[in-house]
Amino acid sequence: MSYAADPAQNKLQISAVSLAMMAIGALAIVFFILTVANDEAIQLALNWTPSEEDPQVPSFLLIYLERFGIIVSALFAFLGAAFIVIGRRLRGGNIRVAYWARIAILWLGMGLAAYIALTVFNFVNSAAMDREAVDLAGMSAAIAPAAIVTLIAFGLWYWFDRNIDRLFRGEDSLRGRETRLAWNLLIPTLTIFVLVAARPLEQTFVRSLTDKRFAGGAVPQFVGLENYLNLLTFRIDTVACRKSVTDGPCDTRANGSIRWESIDRELLRAGYRTIVNIPVGGDQSAAISGLDDDFIEAIITTVIFTVISVALELLIGLFMAMVVNSKFRGRGAMRAVMLVPWAIPTVISARLWELMLKDTSAGIFNKILLDLNAIEAPLAWLSDPSLQIPTAIIVDVWKTAPFMALLLLAGLQVIPGDLYEAASVDGANPIRRFFSITLPLLRPAIAIALIFRTLDALRVFDLFNVLFGRQQLSMATYNFETLVSNQQDGYASAISVIIFIFISVFAFIYVRLLNVES
Amino acid sequence: MERTSPGVKRIFGMTPKELRGRLQQALLYVLVIIVAVYALFPFYWAFATSFKTENEMFQTASYLPRNPTLQNYQYVFRGGSFLLALRNSALVSSAASIFALVAGSFAAYALGRLRFRGRVVLLYVVLSMTMFPAISILSGLYTIVRQLGFFGTGLSLLVTYPVFTLPFTVWVLTSFFKGLPAEIEQAATVDGCTPFQTFRLILLPLTAPALVTTGLLAFVQSWNEYLFALNFTATNPSAQTVPVALALFSGEFSEQEPIAEIMAAAMVVTIPLVALVLFFQNRIVEGLTAGAVKG
Repeated sequence: MSYAADPAQNKLQISAVSLAMMAIGALAIVFFILTVANDEAIQLALNWTPSEEDPQVPSFLLIYLERFGIIVSALFAFLGAAFIVIGRRLRGGNIRVAYWARIAILWLGMGLAAYIALTVFNFVNSAAMDREAVDLAGMSAAIAPAAIVTLIAFGLWYWFDRNIDRLFRGEDSLRGRETRLAWNLLIPTLTIFVLVAARPLEQTFVRSLTDKRFAGGAVPQFVGLENYLNLLTFRIDTVACRKSVTDGPCDTRANGSIRWESIDRELLRAGYRTIVNIPVGGDQSAAISGLDDDFIEAIITTVIFTVISVALELLIGLFMAMVVNSKFRGRGAMRAVMLVPWAIPTVISARLWELMLKDTSAGIFNKILLDLNAIEAPLAWLSDPSLQIPTAIIVDVWKTAPFMALLLLAGLQVIPGDLYEAASVDGANPIRRFFSITLPLLRPAIAIALIFRTLDALRVFDLFNVLFGRQQLSMATYNFETLVSNQQDGYASAISVIIFIFISVFAFIYVRLLNVES
Repeated sequence: MERTSPGVKRIFGMTPKELRGRLQQALLYVLVIIVAVYALFPFYWAFATSFKTENEMFQTASYLPRNPTLQNYQYVFRGGSFLLALRNSALVSSAASIFALVAGSFAAYALGRLRFRGRVVLLYVVLSMTMFPAISILSGLYTIVRQLGFFGTGLSLLVTYPVFTLPFTVWVLTSFFKGLPAEIEQAATVDGCTPFQTFRLILLPLTAPALVTTGLLAFVQSWNEYLFALNFTATNPSAQTVPVALALFSGEFSEQEPIAEIMAAAMVVTIPLVALVLFFQNRIVEGLTAGAVKG
């Protein structure tokens, strides 16, 4: 080193850096509080005077949660506090603290640089839209504070980079290095997670506690758990079957199902609708009724659809993957051909199937089956309720088996070929080889393909929306109908939250069972 | 082995071993044909339909168009807005899949090979992005896209598409990284590589097949995405992606769906994707990993 190692001067430098970090931390928290205080919507709620048209006072808490939310507030508080704590501990001269400080400074600089780029983009963009010159003065004023802090951040980072080994003492462990690298690598993904998943989901959760209307002007109010109660309340009553002859047999419908009495008139008036009657013997059945029977039916439909279609997709996908992994001429082309169903956008493939499944002989499926004499009259694939779920399964399996196949193919390709050679030499037949080599080594790929397909199937939307509209609802299309057709934003949000909880419990158990995280 | 011992019985001039090989080969081709028919029949149907006239939609289905016509294709390319949509889709999907691969492989390396506290929790955090239907977060995303100033531009899709491309990419790549033997890093450390160099120079090339696969799947998912594209770009004709353009041009007819035109458009949309898959499949070098890991 060219410059003298003056202990007093070193100490001064560390103190200055430590102070700068603490100041940045405090500034972040102050900045957040000022932003909240100056927010238009919040100002409006605080200075609200009830008038003739809008007698309801908006809830300050509700607006705060909608505009800023817990996640962003917590992030500012946590990051601000982290800067202050790291800054304070820097004075101890420990090299590990210094490494963490360097990471914090680097990402602060990158974040602010991104913010500046965004601001510039917006100024240029709005100028281009209004066909005016860019408002340079306004732009400079908007980015100046961020630019100053960015410069400080990169200055500090440069200082750390030059002096970290000289001024700080202590042992750095391999474990510590790995932890720091891991967090560095995860920051892009986590940023995306907060921005496009956690934050929107939080807003949905907040709205689920209100009576908000979609695209409506009314001031939303907290309603507590009312939406959830309405969605999830159900009861079980015993009801007898209908009899046209006293003491005779139960009446049946044309298709052979028993006709049951409806539940108490009082209950019907309270909003209960029967979802299913389970016979319990002696002309009696247990009637399961709920306040929102459509939702509970949608859950049942979706689960049945998911279980059957994912199982079929796995079998067909594995078959396809094994076939295109064998050696034959034109294999490359076959791999592309295999992906065709997956490559057609769902919006189009659902239309295509609609066309092929027409309920007259204009639909190719009916024509083939008629030509083969498998059926006597064309089937109404899309409008016959008993055929709707099988139809949805056929279309979904056709479309997504290639997805499974491609994932499994990637798994098959990393299985070393000499394993099979060794097994052949040992005299293992192809079936043995499949069960003792392919399947165990493919397990991680199968597990991942299963997890993602299952979660996708539980969220099925496009397919049900195009094929059935409101006739047959999945969980997601029910959610969509409630939001868009019924305009009940609060209620639809509660549905979203229930779907989220339902799927996450499912996913957690599933991941555990398949044992992929270890 | 050209010469066979005289004791072996020959069937059709072949030894039993040769015969078995031939039969296996034949069976394989039968299976290949089954897969091809399964995957291609609906596609063929769309292809045939794209040359049919609108009237023929209501007659008994025929395997070949009765009066083949190109008017559906002319309709698709009329005005050039469809070509613009194709370009937008190509740009958005490539950018989205490249982003997913970069961010995803970083995260996957951390989650699959590095030891640190909170690893399992973070795997679940990433997976949690796939646990709600897109409609659940639509209005939240709308607010964010507005705040960022991206509404009506392709950038709105670039920031929102990771919600479905990223979890999948991270999980698949994590599993691939985990599957590589531990000796690789030890050898690299001995050679003086930093962990990041090990990742970039050694592990990343080894997972090439998985990178190509996940990249393709992310591309196709982005290419086909409809809900976000409709809500964030429909207002700006110059930013619409293909599914939106398709959905909107079917709305131009009020009486009936122009199904034959939609099928013609489907051909135009799907063929570039198939070409892309063909292009990349040839670039997955077989046994790349097998050889490298062994040594």
